[in-house]
Amino acid sequence: MANPSPTFPFPRRAPVRITFGLALGILTLFGLVPAVAVLVVSFTDLRGLPYIPVHWIGFENFIEFFSPAHWSDNLNALVNTLIFAGASTIIQIVFALGIAILLNRKLRGTSIYRSIVFMPTVLGVTVIGLIWSLMFNPSGGPAAEILGWFGKSSAFLGDPNLALALVTGVQIWAIVGVSVIIFLSGLQAIPHELYEVSSIDGASSWSQFRFVTMPMLSPAMTANVLLGVVNALQSYQLTYVLTGPSNRATQVLSLLVYVQGFGGKSGTTLSQSQGYAAAISMVQFVLVGVITFLALWYLRKREVRL
Amino acid sequence: MIDLHTADDRAVRDTSGSYGPVRTGGRVALFFRRSKLGSYTLVAIVTIIFLFPMLYLFNTALKSNAEFAANPVGLVQHPHWENFVNAWQQGNFKDIILNSVLYTIAGASIGTFIALVMGFPVARGYIRGRKLWNALFVLVLFLPNALVTQFQLLLRLNLYDSRLGYILMVGVGVGIGPLLFSGFASSIPRELDEAAASDGVGYWRYLFTFIVPLAKPALATVFILQAVWIWNEIILATVLLADPSKFPVTVGLYAFKGTYSNQWGLLAAATFIVAAPLIVGYVFLQRFLVNGVLGAVKG
Repeated sequence: MANPSPTFPFPRRAPVRITFGLALGILTLFGLVPAVAVLVVSFTDLRGLPYIPVHWIGFENFIEFFSPAHWSDNLNALVNTLIFAGASTIIQIVFALGIAILLNRKLRGTSIYRSIVFMPTVLGVTVIGLIWSLMFNPSGGPAAEILGWFGKSSAFLGDPNLALALVTGVQIWAIVGVSVIIFLSGLQAIPHELYEVSSIDGASSWSQFRFVTMPMLSPAMTANVLLGVVNALQSYQLTYVLTGPSNRATQVLSLLVYVQGFGGKSGTTLSQSQGYAAAISMVQFVLVGVITFLALWYLRKREVRL
Repeated sequence: MIDLHTADDRAVRDTSGSYGPVRTGGRVALFFRRSKLGSYTLVAIVTIIFLFPMLYLFNTALKSNAEFAANPVGLVQHPHWENFVNAWQQGNFKDIILNSVLYTIAGASIGTFIALVMGFPVARGYIRGRKLWNALFVLVLFLPNALVTQFQLLLRLNLYDSRLGYILMVGVGVGIGPLLFSGFASSIPRELDEAAASDGVGYWRYLFTFIVPLAKPALATVFILQAVWIWNEIILATVLLADPSKFPVTVGLYAFKGTYSNQWGLLAAATFIVAAPLIVGYVFLQRFLVNGVLGAVKG
């Protein structure tokens, strides 16, 4: 090991190793083994039911993923995933920055507003999904009522052209609070002197925002972009609750894993290839890895430049 | 949206305490920049965006089917409190809430235990290969979607459709926990270890009776972050559990929606039953949650 061997003050090392080993064992068996096994399973024809022989089929699942029969569905899910992740991250960060700056003013009860904005994080997807299904209820929800004033109507989540946008909107509503808190802590760490000095130099409020606030916020920005993208690329629970597991308009990769591996529709367990579902997991894993790496690379470069 | 954006400039001005030349914007924009009233207007808009859906849910929960049909959007005229009683009984919410409480407490306890007994020795270098273990703590944040193999593993261990199996699966979903805790453990002075050890205190006694009380806020944060995740988990529960009597609230509520999709009053009441304990708990626990989010970012 590179680091110098640290002194160990306690009489015996065995207790350290026993509890550490126990925890590592549980974590490995139930956490790491399934994660690694996904890669292995993606090369097999494993099915949902036990005691059916499993065969090694090489890259067949991956070939199937890109085959004409599946590619249009998969491309659709891939594009939805990217749109959902990109749009929700960017819009959410713009809103979060605005709200954080607003709450950073000396107003009464900012901690209450902060709590309210953060609350959806605790409510969870099922409750959020039901609340917004109610809001977007096509027959007599508030959204339908407002459209009605203009003599229009919409199926909202049932409208294939609108569903993804609405799910993205609900996702933003649900997670913006986390970004607000990260931005707020960043804003509070900016020394006041910077603003004083720059205003003596005659900087306009815009250039103060551009050249003082934004650079000082860049670590918070990096955290928010990464957290947002990684989270959105893998999130599918809200989509599942709002529009169901096999809605083409809002299908995302991680939900496709569920649909392929477990049907989503009951009674067809035999035909579901879990090997194929594992292959989709791997495609998604690579996608998340590449995008995370690119985002990190870009953000680090940007931090240095600022 | 535009209003929020002009608010950005205003905040800069506020903290500087001086008023430089205004770049652009008409009278409306000026209103939001300059006046306290403008700030409060914006805050009110934000608050409404977040509170209205919840208040609307409560309003709907008090409507009978007939009233909802006649007047879906308006304020409730004849509160129909029976909705809560009916939802409670028809959805079997007593059992599924108890399930969720069990899964959440047991799962988050396993996760917090893992964070404690792995994070502390790694932070101290009491276990060889510090860099390797730290890399592992980061790695667990980026594991692939393992739905298929998690299901297969429990199936092969005879833990499919068992409470224990589900608890173990959500328990190892430690997320940021070990990383967060090992970061915190580095801030506890090493001299304390040495002092305790020279007084003849063994490692376990030290860890559980000295470190645990000292690290209570950090452990609470780790616990709550994971607890929120487990309480809201729905897909793993759908895949790993088959018997409705073992469902957590998320799956139960989703199933309830499937059954009573046209009775919005009843459905809203059921949603409210699930949401209410969360809101109450949140009021008391938000400090830890906020700390957790910030700690997670710094770590």
